[in-house]
Amino acid sequence: MNILIIEDEQALQESIAQYLGKQGYVCETATNFREGIQKINDAEFECIIADIGLPYGSGLDIVKELKQIRSDAGIIIISAKDSLEDKLNGLGLGADDYLTKPFHLSELSARINALLRRKHFGGNTSIIFQDIQVIPASKSVLVHQKPVELTAKEYQLLVYFIANQNRVITKSALASHLWGDEYDMAGSYDFIYSHIKNLRRKLMDAGAPDYIKTVYGTGYRFE
Amino acid sequence: MPVHLIISRRCMVQVTGSNNMKLLTKNTIWFLLIMLPLLAAGGIYLYQQFDKELKKEMDEELVNDQIQWLLYFKSIPDDSPVFRITTPEFSIHPAKGPADAQPLLKTIMQYQEVEHKEVPYRQLEQVIRIRENFYTLTIRKSLIEKDDLIRNIALVMTLAFIGLLLFVILVNRLISRSIWRPFYQSLEKMEKLQLEQMPHLTFPDTAVTEFNRLNEVLLNATSRMYHDFVIMKELTEDAAHEMQTPLAIAQNRLELLLQDEALQPTQLKSIAQTHEALQRLSHLNHNMLFMAKIGNKQFMPAGNISIRAVLEKHLRLFEELIRDKDLMVRTDISGDLSLSLHPLLADTLISNLLGNAIKYNYPKGAITIQLNEQLFSICNTSEYPQIPATQLFQRFKKNASVLENSNGLGLAIVKKITDTNNLKIYYIHKEHEHHFIVRPNPHRH
Repeated sequence: MNILIIEDEQALQESIAQYLGKQGYVCETATNFREGIQKINDAEFECIIADIGLPYGSGLDIVKELKQIRSDAGIIIISAKDSLEDKLNGLGLGADDYLTKPFHLSELSARINALLRRKHFGGNTSIIFQDIQVIPASKSVLVHQKPVELTAKEYQLLVYFIANQNRVITKSALASHLWGDEYDMAGSYDFIYSHIKNLRRKLMDAGAPDYIKTVYGTGYRFE
Repeated sequence: MPVHLIISRRCMVQVTGSNNMKLLTKNTIWFLLIMLPLLAAGGIYLYQQFDKELKKEMDEELVNDQIQWLLYFKSIPDDSPVFRITTPEFSIHPAKGPADAQPLLKTIMQYQEVEHKEVPYRQLEQVIRIRENFYTLTIRKSLIEKDDLIRNIALVMTLAFIGLLLFVILVNRLISRSIWRPFYQSLEKMEKLQLEQMPHLTFPDTAVTEFNRLNEVLLNATSRMYHDFVIMKELTEDAAHEMQTPLAIAQNRLELLLQDEALQPTQLKSIAQTHEALQRLSHLNHNMLFMAKIGNKQFMPAGNISIRAVLEKHLRLFEELIRDKDLMVRTDISGDLSLSLHPLLADTLISNLLGNAIKYNYPKGAITIQLNEQLFSICNTSEYPQIPATQLFQRFKKNASVLENSNGLGLAIVKKITDTNNLKIYYIHKEHEHHFIVRPNPHRH
């Protein structure tokens, strides 16, 4: 899976490329608008991550360019501006998703995962992780071919874990994934703990090993 | 138990003052104030003219009568009893000479039996000579009609005044309907003007130079305002950009660092804590900017929002949080509160209040929500003490030190939303319950 990251902040660009690289993606980078356009025209990408504020042009123009050359790449806009206008503008031009800086790398990875699934398989494929099978179309989960009843939040958690397998995921990343950034959690992540406990129990009851590892003082790792 | 009622300090500018009236009314009053002395002067002048005319006529009559009498006196003998007649209207009695060349005409007051009062008379007096004898001849005519004259003039003047009044009101109305129409149109446009319409503001050309000038000035002022607003808006957004980008870099770097398997658990924990602190910082920045944007009126209502729908949405959204804490939620929804709010602000308002009610609650506590056409009220049980009135809604004043990760902006944002959207928020603390009420500001026309 080829991903193009168009971001002028070197450090940010590197972090994204590094994280996604570990998730098995092949990452190409561009630091400005011109370079971005050039790379888009040179090669095919499954997904393009573009910052809105770029030297020599805007990420929104990248979206326009992509639509013009009828690229079927998934597009995720990232911006430091949490402006509804920009968001609607980006989505209106044909971007598939919008992330506001700062974001969790695990969130970006989960969004790319969902986007690519949607783009390439029309959502009609299932996600397989060892003995767990997730069917996004019906939001159902099978373990050893047997259905497991999960709540909406437990399902979201599982999909997020699988998208970020083998990575340490912080509690705050899980919290903002499940509840959005609007709700200030007041540093209490107890409720996440109870969802994870339930998810872990349901998966193990169905015969799966304990995939969810607690990382001391930090968060969780799904492996 | 002390009950504190915090009433929003916001006060509306009184639009209708005591020395403030409609242009039309003011016009009419000024016109009448000028007309009143003019009409009075006219009345006095008319009275004097008529009075003079009346006297002149009366004098002619008196002289005429005297000529008749003189002719008659000459035809009767000297010993005729006529020469001794004395009545209020006519008297003649002997006098010493010599005879007056001209009759003396004057106005006197004399008692009149019929009227039982002193009435004005016009009197002709002359010493005359009939053959060898001299007599004083006095002829009087009542000027009682003079009273009538004044009355009539006053009546005419009053009628004229009333007629003018009606005329002035009518004319003013017609004038304001035609000449002043562009003015009122501009006024109405400005009253209804909203920020985002400013760049598209236009006024039709009028036939009056002053109105065209006024419209031009209004147009210039609004476009300058809009320009300033756009600059301000860009500044806040740029500030967000400038701060969020380094935050994003730091946060993502730490997230990557967490993946390093060579790290010790204590090191991992330090990184996680740093990551957490940065997240709080970016949240804080985000909320501060959000408040600035609300203050800049960047979220103008596009229509009415059903608070019931917003509330139900957030109850669903927070369902699991409520269940996790085993909270008992009682809702008393007897109607829908419709508020003119930007959808994002409506969401934030309800989300912050409901979020607080969950966050500051204790396990197995209760939340009571009341919603009807007049108000939205939310009440939660809590171990936390009453929020002091001076700290309520203030930025960074935390309700409790226990919640170290709370940024203390939730209520400040709620207050900002209510302040800028013509709403009022009240806080009551009673028997370990925190109670917030939101209602439309009643002091708005």
